Amino acid sequence: MSIRMIKQTATIVALVLSCSMTMAQTPAPSPKKPAPQVRVSQRPSAPQVVTIVHRLNGLKMFRMLLRSEQQVQAVTSLESGFNLMDDVHTNVIAGLAMDDGETIAAWLPEANLEFAPPGFPASFGESQFPDFKFRLSDPPDVSVIGPDGKQLPAKYVGFDATTGLSILLLDEKSSLPANAVRDEPVGVGENVLLFGPEPVANTHSLLDNNLYVRIASIEGRIQNVLPAPTGEVARLRVSAPRLSQANIGGVALNEAGETVGIVDGLLGSEATVLPTASIRRAAQRVLKRRSSVPRAWLGVRGEAVAALQLSQFLNHGWAAERAVTLAGDHRGILLTSIAPGSPAAQAALRAGDVILKVDDKEIQNADDFTWYLDQAGAATSVRFTVARPNQIDVEALNVKLSGILDPAAGFGFRNSFPLTKGLSLLEHGAETIALRPVVASQLGTTAGLLVVYVEPATPAATAGLQAGDVIQLIDSKPIAALNRTTSLKLPMTLQVMRKKQKLTVTLSPPAKK
Amino acid sequence: MKDKRCEPVRRELEELMLNEDFSSATGEHLKTCSDCRDFQRQQTRLRQIVGSLGTVTAPADFDFRLRARLAADSEAPGFRFWSVTVKGLATAAVLVVFGVGAVVVWQRTHEETPAVAVTPPQVTDPIRGHESSFSLDNPELTHVTTQTVAENASSPRKIHRSPIANRSKRPVSTIDFSSERASVVSNTRPVNNSAVFPIETSLQSVRVSLDDGRGKARTISFPTVSFGSQRVLMTANHFTPKGAW
Repeated sequence: MSIRMIKQTATIVALVLSCSMTMAQTPAPSPKKPAPQVRVSQRPSAPQVVTIVHRLNGLKMFRMLLRSEQQVQAVTSLESGFNLMDDVHTNVIAGLAMDDGETIAAWLPEANLEFAPPGFPASFGESQFPDFKFRLSDPPDVSVIGPDGKQLPAKYVGFDATTGLSILLLDEKSSLPANAVRDEPVGVGENVLLFGPEPVANTHSLLDNNLYVRIASIEGRIQNVLPAPTGEVARLRVSAPRLSQANIGGVALNEAGETVGIVDGLLGSEATVLPTASIRRAAQRVLKRRSSVPRAWLGVRGEAVAALQLSQFLNHGWAAERAVTLAGDHRGILLTSIAPGSPAAQAALRAGDVILKVDDKEIQNADDFTWYLDQAGAATSVRFTVARPNQIDVEALNVKLSGILDPAAGFGFRNSFPLTKGLSLLEHGAETIALRPVVASQLGTTAGLLVVYVEPATPAATAGLQAGDVIQLIDSKPIAALNRTTSLKLPMTLQVMRKKQKLTVTLSPPAKK
Repeated sequence: MKDKRCEPVRRELEELMLNEDFSSATGEHLKTCSDCRDFQRQQTRLRQIVGSLGTVTAPADFDFRLRARLAADSEAPGFRFWSVTVKGLATAAVLVVFGVGAVVVWQRTHEETPAVAVTPPQVTDPIRGHESSFSLDNPELTHVTTQTVAENASSPRKIHRSPIANRSKRPVSTIDFSSERASVVSNTRPVNNSAVFPIETSLQSVRVSLDDGRGKARTISFPTVSFGSQRVLMTANHFTPKGAW
């Protein structure tokens, strides 16, 4: 026996002896003195804060890739064992249980993946899809976990594009305490707590798939209350040490435990908080419609006059004298570009125009303009008072606003229009991504176009095309023989691989009403 | 032929960065030792090759996984280096300790059982709907299940997940997480009586390689979990870009 082994044996014997001695010296509990009830010290509680778990499978991951800011045309390799229907990513975020005891509002960052691609149908014109209603193609995989850690059965109702909130309804109304949300006045300097789920350290087991989570809070202070032009609170700004993206979606409570709002963004070292009144209105909009509610879309880009240099007016055709007058007024929005086919284009708004009023309400800054359009809502008519560089008098223009779930896409700010990326069936209601042969064989299919999303009430949906299908032939031509310039007009016959079976799907033009 | 000087010289050569000079003592040694010169040439060549490979982006959840692995490693000290004899002795010793301990505890608890009024932390499994609790006055630490899976099952899951074996045997209820701090959200404090609950996630981040249509390929890793608005990729659900309506 080596010296090392002797040392180890001695160590073990010493340990055994010390353990035995400790155990022998441990006094038995006193039979006469009952043990006191252990209570956890009272800390802020948040019965209105729930946890939302949003899971994304492989198909939705491909949607995310297609809709990202990066150019994506084909999948060239995947990890072995990848399954389209398996979970790929899980987002964990706070939710606010509203005072009716059944409505949940949450700022799900990937909610857009549950809906049509950005800009759809705005990029094609609503007339092409008269039945387009911002519906869900399939229910999102969303779970609600109550403050006590129990799962609460719930369903996703819709997305409010104005606030970015997702609205869910619990199956049982009494699952959460009612009247937990109250609209309380808040002021600068008031302390708030930002509640949200966080991982419990060192509990991500390597043996199972579980990550342990709890609701925790960070302390913050209201630094600014941003008023809307109507006088109510539009946003709050809250400072807190070391804010991060993980805090977005968190629920802000005051020291009395009353709901202040939901964190919907970060601006430098401060969090912007959507106030309770705005959350309540978003929930009402979605619940009334029982589906997603688009944001009002005009189709313009512009800048507040108050923030402009004189040269910017001159560049848009304004005479110097009138430009000086306009700039001195500090009112209105100078339009710098108009999206083709947009409501603004249809109303003959042009770059260089200055919108001074919306429904006779003056616009002081960009936030005012946003507020008035949001209050008007999608599919409504508004009356603009417009100053134009080539005419002396202001002009009144009636504009019917359109609706869009992702306003950023209405202008093609992202490279997310699949028509520009390659062969696409998006204009017929199917979002696709090309699979290379290696990847296709991994997924148990052949090379072609993988359907990642089918919009309800479109030719693709009507024909029975499904997400997960792989299109091999279009009008008897292999996908590889087609390119982005190929015209894909209806009617069209597709050969599709679905669960290792070949099917023929025929897309027909939508019936005219 | 290696001498005593070779060891520190080679250690220094191994630790050198590309384009970094070695010490004068090492330089002197290299003049006289052909083995170390060969070693130095090999090291330099190796660094040049590695340096020419470019950088590789770590997966988004690399930090999380690394810390999880380190934590797991730190909990498993080097028992693998022990011989079979020592392992056997250690096992026997542990059994003896537990045996003696069990006898002592049994004797003391059966003298007179006191009323124990400790509120144990509860851990609820939201997926299975189990509310697990342990009663300290039960010598066998009975696992009490108050609700069945079927009773609490919400809408049926459409996605397929690999089943987790023996989930009910996981000793989740024996761990008190309330004093733990999280790494993602700093400066936090737990909510009063807030439950710690498990969320089923995959263990591996998924990597996918893509072609942008212009001949450029890139690989993207999807982290398994994100909290709040930690972005996987820049996509939607952020507000209208400034200046667009």
